[in-house]
Amino acid sequence: MSRVFVGMSGGVDSALAAALLVEQGHDVLGVYMRNWSQDLPGFKCPWAEDLADAERVAVSLGIDLEVWDCEAEYRATVVDYLVDAYARGLTPNPDVMCNQTVKFGTFAEQAFARGADLVATGHYARVEHGTGGEPARLLRSCDEHKDQTYFMWRVPGEVYNRAVFPIGGYRDKAAVRAACAERGLGIENKPDSDGICFIGPVGLRTFLLDTLERKPGDVVEWETGAVLGRHEGAFLFTVGQRRGLDLGGGPARYVVSTDTEANVVYVTADKMCPGLWSDTLALEDVRWVSGEAPAEGSYLVRTRHTGPLREARLTIDGGRVRLRYPQPERTVAPGQSAVIYDGVTCLGGGIVSKEA
Amino acid sequence: MAADQAYLDYGAATPLAPEVLEAMVPYLTETFYNPSAPYAPARAARQALEDARATLAHLIGARPGQITLTAGATEANNLAFAAVDGPVLTDAAEHESVLACAQAREHAIVGVGPDGRVSASDVVAALTPATELVSVEYANGEVGALQPVREIGAAVAAERVRRLEEGERTPLYLHVDASQAALTHAINVSSLGADLVTLSAAKVYGPKQVGLLWSSDDVRLRPLVRGGGQEGGVRSGTENVSGVVGFARALELATQRRKDEARRLAGLRRRLQGQLEAAFPQMVVSGPKRDKLRLPGLLHVCFAGLEAARLVIALERRGVYVGTGSACAASRMQVSHVLRAMGVPDEVARGSLRITLGRPTTEQEIDYAAEQIKSVVTQEAERVGVSL
Repeated sequence: MSRVFVGMSGGVDSALAAALLVEQGHDVLGVYMRNWSQDLPGFKCPWAEDLADAERVAVSLGIDLEVWDCEAEYRATVVDYLVDAYARGLTPNPDVMCNQTVKFGTFAEQAFARGADLVATGHYARVEHGTGGEPARLLRSCDEHKDQTYFMWRVPGEVYNRAVFPIGGYRDKAAVRAACAERGLGIENKPDSDGICFIGPVGLRTFLLDTLERKPGDVVEWETGAVLGRHEGAFLFTVGQRRGLDLGGGPARYVVSTDTEANVVYVTADKMCPGLWSDTLALEDVRWVSGEAPAEGSYLVRTRHTGPLREARLTIDGGRVRLRYPQPERTVAPGQSAVIYDGVTCLGGGIVSKEA
Repeated sequence: MAADQAYLDYGAATPLAPEVLEAMVPYLTETFYNPSAPYAPARAARQALEDARATLAHLIGARPGQITLTAGATEANNLAFAAVDGPVLTDAAEHESVLACAQAREHAIVGVGPDGRVSASDVVAALTPATELVSVEYANGEVGALQPVREIGAAVAAERVRRLEEGERTPLYLHVDASQAALTHAINVSSLGADLVTLSAAKVYGPKQVGLLWSSDDVRLRPLVRGGGQEGGVRSGTENVSGVVGFARALELATQRRKDEARRLAGLRRRLQGQLEAAFPQMVVSGPKRDKLRLPGLLHVCFAGLEAARLVIALERRGVYVGTGSACAASRMQVSHVLRAMGVPDEVARGSLRITLGRPTTEQEIDYAAEQIKSVVTQEAERVGVSL
């Protein structure tokens, strides 16, 4: 029996995770991490309802639930990071930061300091603990459609050595819901949360416009340099984006790139425009779960959550880590994570850099 | 037949009485007209509104022209405070709508005793020659303490006399929020000694978002909601005819049944309290001990060392619905300001349940609820290792 601190969000996944740990006979403490409680125009932050749901589950399992205030860390490392990255013309993954700094940062540190043997969450992922001081291996979940390792690549293997993901072995979300219903946890019908949790259905555009100053600029055709229209700030656009370009009709146009310094958004009507395709990704801020870089060679790469796993060649030239695909792929927005797998094992990854 | 469910949170919301619904329906359907419309059929709507106002006035010993209809008690309280410019005086156990209004301006707040009651002498001591409004609720909705409003009314009247004699021209009014009391206590504005009285339909088996502010002829109300000039220009917006008709019918029923219902509720509450006290000798019952000083159907209990939010969830799973502290405080996860004002330590306050009985409550429900509360509290106490 271990002392396990489980992060409980009030959702289905972490509810089942907690239930399974209790059934396995562990000494379980539930922790609700309050990361954000601020309402946005048109979106009431549901933290109080989520907490009530987490409490419902804790009561039915007969475990304690504590509320840990993580708002300061969350704001500094997730929200501010997100805003800052957008302001610099990047398209960040806030969930990656949240896992690194909050869930497997503050939460794990405090849990271990409080005497936890293990921390657990409702992530769709699996972990193989290392023996004899080796770091753990992070594996994709059995349900490939829900796998969340894309968001978990920045967490060091030493932390995963003391982490468990009880639902990582479930076949699919329906099985998770069914398992919740079977146990009468009372939240099995709760809908999946979607998108960035603190923004909810309001949408990133609204959030950014609420946070950053509007900065009107030109929308320019990539091929010709012709000004096609105006925008409210280059930071609002990301590579490949089609919606939100108000160009008054004409063919569908895609964002090829943005220049936040000059405040210009480049677009094209040509899906085959060379700017939309690239066979090389340059990575920065690279992390490896094991702490050590793998050998150069061919690996599987994922550049968005549950996106396709494509083969690419990893080269490490001094500090410069690059991935080269056998053929051009859709350009990945700078700031996104490129996550590298060897089979089902998540090795780590990097942030796609602006400079190819 | 034994009950297997019990709603015991009538202090938070009451269902519409069937008679109230019946009275309201015609004004939601065939007589839907805007009371200000110029054609003949609309006159029926206007008439219904004014009849309802007259009924409400009659039931509280007032004249129809002194009644301003509002969207609930919170608005009525806000309207009362808007009538004055100078410093206000209230007590620490008031509803949030009163405390928030007071805190938005120059104010003094007197404490309450460990039983949740304000002392009239504290109010007198805190009165200054500049005070323009004293606001004290008739009954506290959280722990059920009845406040000494008549004594405070007398003190306010004495201060008014003093100001008159000394040629001071600062006005002084007494506002009484009687929302929580109206079901079980007669509200007669002249005997209360108040200048402003708030009532709510939602607490007397009427519709939500319907309330009134009675004001004496000495008070000049000032509008917070401007527009078409309804309610004598004090509260614009098309009148909620069906709601007001329902309010009048609800208050009528409450008045007719008041005495018997108060006695019946007190009996049921004692039955519940007795069963819980027998099971948990350490349980703390909050509010005044004497029946005369408390709402008959409200039982506020604290289980030190337990977490009320968990008890509510465990009870919810058994079909028993009760409140924790005050409803607003609960969703913000703060210890209730009322309990704090009473000097209840936070660890005791966190384990507090507010159980409010209502018109539909039966003995069977009370017995079922008592069993479930006993079982849930025992389980939880064992789990966390406290003895009650």
